Amino acid sequence: MGKISRRDFLKAGAATVASIFIPRFFSGSEVKSDKGPLIGVAYGNKEKLVAGAIEQIGGIERFVKSGNRVLIKPNISFAANAECGATTSAEIVKQIVQLCLNAGAVKVIIVDYPLANAEICIEKSGIKEALIDKTKVNILMLSKERQFYEVEVPDGKALKTVKIAKELNNVDTVINVPTAKSHSATGVSLGMKNLMGLIWDRNIFHRSNLHQAIAELATVVKPHLTIVDATRALTSGGPGGPGKTVILNTVIAGTDIVAVDSYTTGITQWYNKSFTGRNVKHIVAGYKLGLGEIDTEKMQIKKVEV
Amino acid sequence: MSFKSHRLIRTIIQIIFLLFFIFLFLRTSYGVKIDFQNTFYKFNPMLFITLSIASRSFVSGLLLSVILIILTLLLGRIFCGFICPLGTMIDLFDSVLVKTRIKFHKNNPQSRWFIITKSTKYIVLLFILVSALFGISFVHFFDPLVIFERFLTFVMLPVVTYFAGSFSNIKIFFANENIFVLLYVIGILSSGIFVSRFWCQYLCPLGGLLSILSKIAIFKFLFTKPCSKCLLCQKVCPTDAISLKTDDIDAGECIGCFRCQYECPDRVIKYKMGLKLNNFNIRRRHFITATGMALIAVPLVRINIHQKNNGRLIRPPGAIPELDFLNTCIHCGKCIKVCPTNGLQPCLLESGINGLWSPHLVARIGGCEKNCNLCGQICPTGAIRNLPLEEKTYVKIGTAVIDRSRCLAWEQDKACLICDEACPYNAINNLNETIQNITIGRPFVDERLCTGCGICESRCPIDGRSAIEVFSIGEERKRSGSYITPEKIKLRCGAESSEDIPSGFILQDD
Repeated sequence: MGKISRRDFLKAGAATVASIFIPRFFSGSEVKSDKGPLIGVAYGNKEKLVAGAIEQIGGIERFVKSGNRVLIKPNISFAANAECGATTSAEIVKQIVQLCLNAGAVKVIIVDYPLANAEICIEKSGIKEALIDKTKVNILMLSKERQFYEVEVPDGKALKTVKIAKELNNVDTVINVPTAKSHSATGVSLGMKNLMGLIWDRNIFHRSNLHQAIAELATVVKPHLTIVDATRALTSGGPGGPGKTVILNTVIAGTDIVAVDSYTTGITQWYNKSFTGRNVKHIVAGYKLGLGEIDTEKMQIKKVEV
Repeated sequence: MSFKSHRLIRTIIQIIFLLFFIFLFLRTSYGVKIDFQNTFYKFNPMLFITLSIASRSFVSGLLLSVILIILTLLLGRIFCGFICPLGTMIDLFDSVLVKTRIKFHKNNPQSRWFIITKSTKYIVLLFILVSALFGISFVHFFDPLVIFERFLTFVMLPVVTYFAGSFSNIKIFFANENIFVLLYVIGILSSGIFVSRFWCQYLCPLGGLLSILSKIAIFKFLFTKPCSKCLLCQKVCPTDAISLKTDDIDAGECIGCFRCQYECPDRVIKYKMGLKLNNFNIRRRHFITATGMALIAVPLVRINIHQKNNGRLIRPPGAIPELDFLNTCIHCGKCIKVCPTNGLQPCLLESGINGLWSPHLVARIGGCEKNCNLCGQICPTGAIRNLPLEEKTYVKIGTAVIDRSRCLAWEQDKACLICDEACPYNAINNLNETIQNITIGRPFVDERLCTGCGICESRCPIDGRSAIEVFSIGEERKRSGSYITPEKIKLRCGAESSEDIPSGFILQDD
């Protein structure tokens, strides 16, 4: 064992002290270049989609370091058949889990707060497929108020405070994995809408201004990475289905949640109509709050066929 | 073998059956395969006889109860002494209450009072049977197995899950009006303050039925020799079955505890084969009393106003027509225990006094889950038909009705539509309305597609009463035959509806 020099000691000490001042949860690595937010898109072979998309934005090592704890938030809220597209496909979650474990994650927690009975949701979504290493990966279905804590929403118009999952504070990386689907109230349900599965009282959102509330929630809950499962998109009848399901075999990944949502809105027709992010109220609200880029021309889109 | 070790054996057997009952109770839950959870009910002859008479049909699911009849004809009332879980609970409480027991009558089996009280259980039994003949079943109020199961479901489970849920992720089980179940059971257990096994001796109709059978049982306790009349056996007998005046042990009262055999100093009492018959003690006046009671009770129950003014009585999917349902359902609460959303709840007076504790869907608590048919699978009597999962989704148990004056989307122009989001049958449509350049999506119910599952009602975000409620409008109750019709299939296939584009979109071209 080598000696530790005074300089090394001071360096390490300074780093430790400095790290205290970085709130764990808000430490999303934001690589912003002049060219706008980076979006990785992969299409083609289902089994390589996640790796392909994440490779485009710098690889999983950018987000998950050795020894990290990772929270994955898929949408497994509905007791609908997996093929219908109301829930994130287990295959995609499994690939993300695999990547995280390869990157050295010590714990991967798959979290959701389901709308229907938790056991039926787990069964129907087939999410257990993603439990590749039972010692390191587990599913947490939130159900109790004490699993949430209240945070203030700075400058919130629709929301003053919101109760978010405590588990968010126990992890180093938060990966948001929505499925691409339509939504009868918000138009589309993508990255920002998926974050509603991490809060206690969703009803307040509907009693308030829903679109604004969704955007404001994204100012408090900031996932480090958003990966949209667009292997199939539920383009009508959402969010619960059944409806029209379009096979796209695409995965979109990025750190800018507004950009990811906006880009995904444009990749297929919804309710047999074409839209852009500018057409979706909650995405526009997110853009106006400065959460990210809305125009696809200003994004740096890296597309790859796998 | 001494009496102590004998009592130990009996206690162990009782506890094994009690634990087995509780084990079956705990296995009655979502995610566990339904196989032998109904074992106890299948062997219950009183349920079999009463339900078959009341519903005018052969309840084949309970046919195994013949085995208990044969067993009792052979060995006497051992069900009461060894198997009955309520009996075990009563024994447990009696062992505590014995110290504070109130002596309210001389232990004299010849007294008039004694014979009258002992006959009450036959009157209860006759009342149930005569009412069943008139077409109403009251068995669910008096069957010991049902009483105990109900106690577990409506009292113990909420209490245990409340504590367990406060430090783990176990879901708290809710049950309406559980206090009445608790009071009923407290009444039964605390009656040990007067006499041991009060319920079993005086009231239990299953005990009464088995008692009649035991009187002609082959094995029974008998005096083998004349005894010294020390009165010890008469004193220790927990069910007052022994009369030394006539040197008679009434097999109809004896629950087979073996106390007399082992406490008798002369060792003259033996459990052995004997063809001596006991007096039946059922008189004409018992028949008259029971028939009189039934003649008043049956019309009172049948003419109940609740049926007319309560459109909110939603029975579980596959429940047979209401009158048959009430005559077949034993209100054991198994469907309520097994319901994954906790939406099935015991009735209070929603379906009349006789429907007390029968299951109904309280959709505000939880809707009827589309991917579940457990209530039909678990029902021990077939009051809820065991429909295949696919067919169950076609059963219409009611129709959702929107109260526009309470609805966020209709009344406050909010972007809500949670009901549309939640509906698993696509029965709620969103149609847009534009007022002063603001487009708002309003929910509409398509009553042809709505099955009345009530998931919308459970999820409606407003406080208090839901703005969308399920009423029993259009409910389907079939005794037999399929719920799937070609029209329904056609409707569902064409469910790609004429819904409007969500108001969450900003449309540029208009």
